[in-house]
Amino acid sequence: MKNLKTIISVLFSIIFLMSSGIPENLEKKVDREVKDVFEIDSYKFEKVDVSEEIKSKIPSRIDDENFYRINSKGKVKGYVYVDKAPSKTADFDYLVIFDNNLKIVRTKVLIYREEYGGEIGSHRWLSQFTGKSGEDSLDDIAAISGATISVRSMTNAVKDILKTMKILQIKKVI
Amino acid sequence: MKKVTLTLILGFVSALSFSQTTNDSIIHDSQIQQNSAQRVISAKDGNAVTLGAYGEIVYNQPEGDNGKLDVHRLVLLLGYQFNDKVQFFSEIEVEHVEEIFVEQAFVNYNVANNLNLRAGLMLVPMGIINEYHEPTTFNGVERPGMDRSIIPTTWREIGVGLSGRINSASLSYQAYVFNGFKSTNADGTGLIGGSNGLRGGRQKGIKSTVNKPNFSAKVDYYGILGLRMGLSGYVGRTQADDEIDHLQGADVGLSMVGLDARYVFNRFTARGQFIYASLTDTEAYNDLTGKDLGSALSGWYAEAAYNLLPQDKEQKLDLFARYENYDTHADTDGTLVANDSYNRDELTMGLSYHIAPGVVLKGDYQFLDNAAAGNDVKKQLNFGVGVWF
Repeated sequence: MKNLKTIISVLFSIIFLMSSGIPENLEKKVDREVKDVFEIDSYKFEKVDVSEEIKSKIPSRIDDENFYRINSKGKVKGYVYVDKAPSKTADFDYLVIFDNNLKIVRTKVLIYREEYGGEIGSHRWLSQFTGKSGEDSLDDIAAISGATISVRSMTNAVKDILKTMKILQIKKVI
Repeated sequence: MKKVTLTLILGFVSALSFSQTTNDSIIHDSQIQQNSAQRVISAKDGNAVTLGAYGEIVYNQPEGDNGKLDVHRLVLLLGYQFNDKVQFFSEIEVEHVEEIFVEQAFVNYNVANNLNLRAGLMLVPMGIINEYHEPTTFNGVERPGMDRSIIPTTWREIGVGLSGRINSASLSYQAYVFNGFKSTNADGTGLIGGSNGLRGGRQKGIKSTVNKPNFSAKVDYYGILGLRMGLSGYVGRTQADDEIDHLQGADVGLSMVGLDARYVFNRFTARGQFIYASLTDTEAYNDLTGKDLGSALSGWYAEAAYNLLPQDKEQKLDLFARYENYDTHADTDGTLVANDSYNRDELTMGLSYHIAPGVVLKGDYQFLDNAAAGNDVKKQLNFGVGVWF
C-alpha cells in the first residue's frame, strides 16, 4: 500500500509538472522579461480562475497554462499572457505583460519561425503597444513593409487580449 | 487489485510519455508509412509542412505590335519544419509554362536567438525585388527594369552564410559566400554583356562551375516607424570554364552596392532603390569574347502609391506611379563607346487591385524610353493577375 501511495504521488507530480506552466522553451524568456519589467528578483505565478462561461465570451484563448497573475512578496504586480499567433506560414509565440492597472508594460515576440515577417520582433515597433489598455484603439499602429501579415496578426492578437482583460475586469475575475 | 492499479498507472504513464514523443519526419513502420504528399496533407502538428504558391499571368500589349499572353511564372513553395531550430525551404518554379527551375532550396539552422546558419540555393540579398518578388508585394505587372538588367532578378546561387535579427536595434543582417556569375564558356563565348549586364551569367545552381568565392551582405534597418531601409553589398569575380579560365579577360571583377527604402503611412506607400555596380577587366573580357560589357552599371527608381479604398477594408486599390532610370553602360573601358540605348528610363502608372489579401489584379501603362538619338518612346499596356498563398 505504501508503494501505491508513492506511485500515486509520483503520478500526480508528473501530471502537475506537465499541466502547470508555460512551455519549457519559453519559460526562461518569460521569466527574464517579468523580472526586467517589474525590476524584481522573485515572484510567483498564480493561476487565474476563469469560468467556462467567461471563456466562451472572451476573444483571446485563455487556459490554465497561458495566463497568470504575477505576485511578488504578497503584492500583485500584474498579469502575464503567452499565446501563439499566425504568421504567413507558421505560428509565432508572443508575450504580453500588464501592470496592476491593466496597462500593457511589455510585449515581446518569443519565438518567430518564418523567413519573412520577423521584423515584428523589433523592440521599437513593439513599444507602440506599451501603455495601451482596454480603452485604447490600435488603429495607429504603424505597418512594416515586407511584414504586413505578421503586423496584422500581432496587432489583432493584442487587440484581443486588451478586450479580454477588459471583460475579465468587468466580470471581476481580475 | 494492487497489480491492476499498477498496470493501469504504468499504462497511463506510458501513454502520456508516448503522446509527448514527436514522430520522426520519416516513419519506418511500413504500417503507417506515408508518401510525401500524404504527409503534406495530414501534417498533424499543422506547422511542420509549408505548402504554398505564387504565380503571375500577364498580358503585354505594346503599341502598334502584337500583344503577348504568358503564364509568366508559377512557383510552388515547399518547406518543412523539422523542429523549432531547423527548417528547409524551397521554391520550385515553372516559367512560361514549360521551363522548370529550382529557385531556392536551403536549410536554415537557428543556432541562437540572433543567429541562423543557412546553406543551399539562396537568393542574393540586393535591393528589394530580388528578395520580395511575389506579385502581390510590388506594384506594376512587370518588375522594375533595373531589377532585370542590373540586379538580375531572380538572382540566386548556391552558397552558405548567416542571417539574423537584432530586435533591440530593429535590424536584420545577412552575410553569405556565394558562387559567382559565369562570364565565359569553354569555347570562348561570353555570357554577360551590354544590354542586360550580368543577367546571362547567372548559374542558378545548374551544374555550376566555381573557382572563386563571391561575398554578399545586406543590413536592413526598421527602427523608424513606417520606414525600412536596406544597404546591400556584393564583391567577387565571375567564373569561367576550366579550359579557358587562365586567359586574361575570361573573368571580370564585380562590386555592387545597393540602397533601398520602403515607407508606409496609412494609405500612402512609397519605395525607392539605388544600385551601382563597378566591373574590372571588362576591356580584356570584351576583347576575348567580342561582347560590349560596360565597366559600370547604375540605376535608381522611385515609386509612390495611394490606396483609394478606406483602410479598414480588406481590399486595397493602389494607384501608383514609378519612375526609373538605369544605364548598363554608365561607364565603359578602353575603346568601347557607351551605347546610349542602354541608358533607359521608364515611367509606369497604373492600379493594383488587391481583391483579397494574396490576390491582385494589375493594370498599368508604361512609357519606355532611352537616350539614343532619334529614339521613339515605346508605349505598352500591361494587365496581370497575381496570387500568393
